[in-house]
Amino acid sequence: MIKAVMVMNTQGKPRLTKFYEFLDFWCVVLCSRAENVSNFMEADSIFGPDSRLVYKHYATLYFVFVFDSSENELAMLDLIQVFVETLDKCFRNVCELDIVFNYSKLHTILDEIIFGGQVLETSSAEVMKARISLKLYRISYQNSFWLEE
Amino acid sequence: MALSGMRGLSVFISDVRNCQNKEQERLRVDKELGNVRTRFKNEKGLSPYEKKKYVWKMLYIYMLGYDVDFGHMEAVSLISAPKYPEKQVGYIVTACLLNENHDFLRLAINTVRNDIIGRNETFQCLALTLVGNIGGREFAESLAADVQKLLISSSCRPLVRKKAALCLLRLYRKNPDVVNVDGWADRMAQLLDERDLGVLTSSMSLLVALVSNNHEAYWSCLPKCVKTLERLARNQDIPQEYTYYGIPSPWLQVKTMRALQYFPTVEDPNTRRSLFEVLQRILMGTDVVKNVNKNNASHAVLFEALALVMHLDAEKEMMSQCVALLGKFIAVREPNIRYLGLENMTRMLMVTDVQDIIKRHQAQIITSLKDPDISIRRRALDLLYGMCDVSNAKDIVEELLQYLSSADFAMREELSLKAAILAEKFAPDLSWYVDVILQLIDKAGDFVSDDIWFRVVQFVTNNEDLQSYAAAKAREYLNKPAIHETMVKVSAYILGEYGHLLARRPGYSPKELFTIIHEKHPTVSTSTIPILLSSYAKILMHTQPPEPELQNQIWTIFNKYESCIDVEIQQRAAEYFALSRKGASLMDILAEMPKFPERQSALIRKAEDAEVDTAEQSAIKLRAQQQMSTALVVTDQRPPNGMPAQPSIGPLSLVKVPSETVDSQNPGDQGLTHPNGVVYKEDPQPPSQDIIGDLLGTLSIEGPPGAVAQSPQSATYEAEGAPSAADAAALVPVGEESGSVQPIGNINERFYALCLKDSGVLYEDPNIQIGIKAEWRAHQGRLVLFLGNKNTASLGSVQALILPPTHLKMELSLVPETIPPRAQVQCPLEVMNLRPSRDVAVLDFSYKFGPTMVNVKLRLPAVLNKFLQPITVSPEEFFPQWRSLSGPPLKLQEVVRGVRPLPLPEMANLFNTYRLTVCPGLDPNPNNLVASTTFYSETTRAMLCLVRIETDPADRTQLRMTVASGDPTLTFELKEFIKEQLVSIPTAPQRPQGPAAPPPPVAQITAPPPAASQDPGALLAGLL
Repeated sequence: MIKAVMVMNTQGKPRLTKFYEFLDFWCVVLCSRAENVSNFMEADSIFGPDSRLVYKHYATLYFVFVFDSSENELAMLDLIQVFVETLDKCFRNVCELDIVFNYSKLHTILDEIIFGGQVLETSSAEVMKARISLKLYRISYQNSFWLEE
Repeated sequence: MALSGMRGLSVFISDVRNCQNKEQERLRVDKELGNVRTRFKNEKGLSPYEKKKYVWKMLYIYMLGYDVDFGHMEAVSLISAPKYPEKQVGYIVTACLLNENHDFLRLAINTVRNDIIGRNETFQCLALTLVGNIGGREFAESLAADVQKLLISSSCRPLVRKKAALCLLRLYRKNPDVVNVDGWADRMAQLLDERDLGVLTSSMSLLVALVSNNHEAYWSCLPKCVKTLERLARNQDIPQEYTYYGIPSPWLQVKTMRALQYFPTVEDPNTRRSLFEVLQRILMGTDVVKNVNKNNASHAVLFEALALVMHLDAEKEMMSQCVALLGKFIAVREPNIRYLGLENMTRMLMVTDVQDIIKRHQAQIITSLKDPDISIRRRALDLLYGMCDVSNAKDIVEELLQYLSSADFAMREELSLKAAILAEKFAPDLSWYVDVILQLIDKAGDFVSDDIWFRVVQFVTNNEDLQSYAAAKAREYLNKPAIHETMVKVSAYILGEYGHLLARRPGYSPKELFTIIHEKHPTVSTSTIPILLSSYAKILMHTQPPEPELQNQIWTIFNKYESCIDVEIQQRAAEYFALSRKGASLMDILAEMPKFPERQSALIRKAEDAEVDTAEQSAIKLRAQQQMSTALVVTDQRPPNGMPAQPSIGPLSLVKVPSETVDSQNPGDQGLTHPNGVVYKEDPQPPSQDIIGDLLGTLSIEGPPGAVAQSPQSATYEAEGAPSAADAAALVPVGEESGSVQPIGNINERFYALCLKDSGVLYEDPNIQIGIKAEWRAHQGRLVLFLGNKNTASLGSVQALILPPTHLKMELSLVPETIPPRAQVQCPLEVMNLRPSRDVAVLDFSYKFGPTMVNVKLRLPAVLNKFLQPITVSPEEFFPQWRSLSGPPLKLQEVVRGVRPLPLPEMANLFNTYRLTVCPGLDPNPNNLVASTTFYSETTRAMLCLVRIETDPADRTQLRMTVASGDPTLTFELKEFIKEQLVSIPTAPQRPQGPAAPPPPVAQITAPPPAASQDPGALLAGLL
């Protein structure tokens, strides 16, 4: 099960935090890790027993997933990639500022990918479809299209 | 592109971003929180738009790490907004800010349910997401059925169905007793035929949860999993959007192989063959490529396939193929793959027969210790530790020692502990072991725990061949200009004890030894000085004939410390000073230390303890530990007849059997040497019955000052108490074995009282009070043990082990080893009832107060009636049930004699206190009682139980009892349970019948099956 998802910048400022299991808030300094090392860290001391941490560094942001031994480490790393690719499609070249000012969208997208700590969708095309259907719906609703249906 | 044009929010975010420092940010956030709070207070003026804006702000502030303890109500209320934007905010913010136990969530259940059963797909998705993230018990109760319907509905779009699958998974994981999955095997098999890969991925996760709980029921899904895997691995019919860097959904492949690992084996030969074909394909077809993402994805699948191959216990050929692959991985450039290669090799060690193949890669693994990445270094250390055995111990330990000087500080403690354990476990000869530990202390003194140097002292003391070697080594280290304090301790101890063995060698005269030890004196702390003083006293004693100059020097030192502020030092100095003036008697008292009793290494025990944290197997491990600790007690104690105990051949076969010479040195003390199970440093000191005994106590190498005054009486008493601890498997009523510490109050009475209520005192003696608070919910319970130290000194060596009967799964959280003075610690204990049974769990509790070890075995009030929940049934429900359960084994009848005479209303009360609801008026006969209850266990789930008691007004000591339920074991156990309650008088229970009885029965078991036709109860038979 995935226990938490975090996005933070290189100064350690959180940009998105979502906990699927209760965890104390924390902030870890990933920035001290060099570029050519693995993407895994032991997280037992921070998150309790049976916790693994995978992170990926994109420009000024770290994307961090915390999960237990029932998940495959590399598959989690791939999931970060899916998340980021989806953000990229959504914002056309995503940057930190997009994330700062659109965290509601971030939450919506994340909810389409991870659901209650389980992988929900792994195809960024499908995630975009779900999002577009929500967006269209919002417009049609405002034109009170929906009520007539 | 700001948040749907919420300007205020964008301004706020910009403000926070522009803050120069944390303090400014806090001020800005506080200001905003104040603003939001005021606006919420006068809610009337708030438009939905404003409410939405403020709730978003709250979420932003929460994300920054500030506490947001208000406005939850507003967030929840947005859920029922009719429009999408507000509703969405409500759902998202509620799911982030609240957890499943929050009271406000209850308010939302109805709205959420309406959204789920409504036709609006978007609302369905929002509601499912909320439930799937924070849905608790009440959500499960009211929504599980609706969610199940959505999952199998053919009219729903995949978008909704995949969410329904994971939502159901969450509800099932959290409350397996509420979500009914009986008969889901067929549906799961159908779901696995799904073409949409999104729904299939979610369904696979659901399957993993179901199979991990009960694989038996889901055999039919196994071939379907293999089919799915084949489809993916061969890339048949996989839509483009589910291909990730050219690989068909790696996540689904991984999940499917995880699911397969929950089945113990694959029996059907055809399925097995196709599975191995697929696995072979994956193992062989993966290459390291340039694209990082593609590489990750293909290796994710590959590592999962490796895990599955290990699980399936494949043929040796395939296994060695796997090891060869792993060997390749640990040498590649890509760090993630190196990391996982090492980790999987460690896992592979558990598979038999491959250790030798893994050993071929030892050199590469050792190189990984120098990897730039600490995560990889740790994995390499784990692997080396795991693969070490007699054949390669020397190489590996020496590598570890070499690595120690360059290792990160974060790893040194673990590293030195592991090196010490390996050296001890696999030492080819003892002098090597001594070398290793001394090197360890020399290189990483700060990270060497006391246990490690105590252990080397034990070895040296117990092995005569080693003593002069160790002394020479210690002397060598003392020659170094700067050494670690631990090295000073161990060298001073060894030289004091055995330096005289080398007296004829140059440089080892008493004077020289004293000088070289005393040189270190100015650099050490107060904890080392007592050891130095002992060492001086010993050197003085070994100086024959006495050298006045040395004597004067040492006496001056003793004199100086006689007024030391540290009591321990002061006492030693004063005593050694007085003793050393006594001449010959000094020889007896300061004679060589006797051998240490055989015992398990504290280090190895520590390592074993550290492993006990995975929730799943903890029950088994606790038991194993329990067995081990009983063994320990038996080995450590000395039988009262004066024969030395036979040391068991444990992990430490290196230590020789203690020889008789020890006993001949202290002939008077044999029976007292090892008081009952006392495992601490003093016990090699023979407590003697005169005042010198007290003085001797101070020679201990780590004795706390308070431990000196061990009175002869208590020691004698404990020695006598020893045999009763020997048969520790039988449950002895407390007081008898706990030595001089007597419990306060009657333990049995306390237990029976706690069977009826949920909080109270379980045990109390002059030192400790153990209280219990319990909460029961269906088949689960949470007990909290309150361990309160009543003294002004701390209690040490606190240990609590749970001995659960087979029907209970119990998990005790960590119990601290010491309880500080006047403090109370809480230790939660999770209980899960698997089956109906009357067996009782036992808490094996021990602690040390001063020199006394107290051990008690206490029954825990996790008894059958705790898993009952009162329920009232109407006649319309009762009679059809009663009739449908006809005859044994579901309905049992028995005539019970020797019943404690009770008036009927009192009996009814008794039933009610045991959570059996008496239903008045159901039975027309006023002499009869009818009661109903629900029993919860994992196997039976919630099960209705019905009881009927027919009494004979003429003879209140007998009655006829009929018990019915849908489960034969439950019927039997409940009947016996009620019988025990009626026959016994809980406040003064009878003694258990025989010593052979496992956990003591709560009461005497009476009444063999009687002949029904002759008893008076038969008169009442035709009434219902």
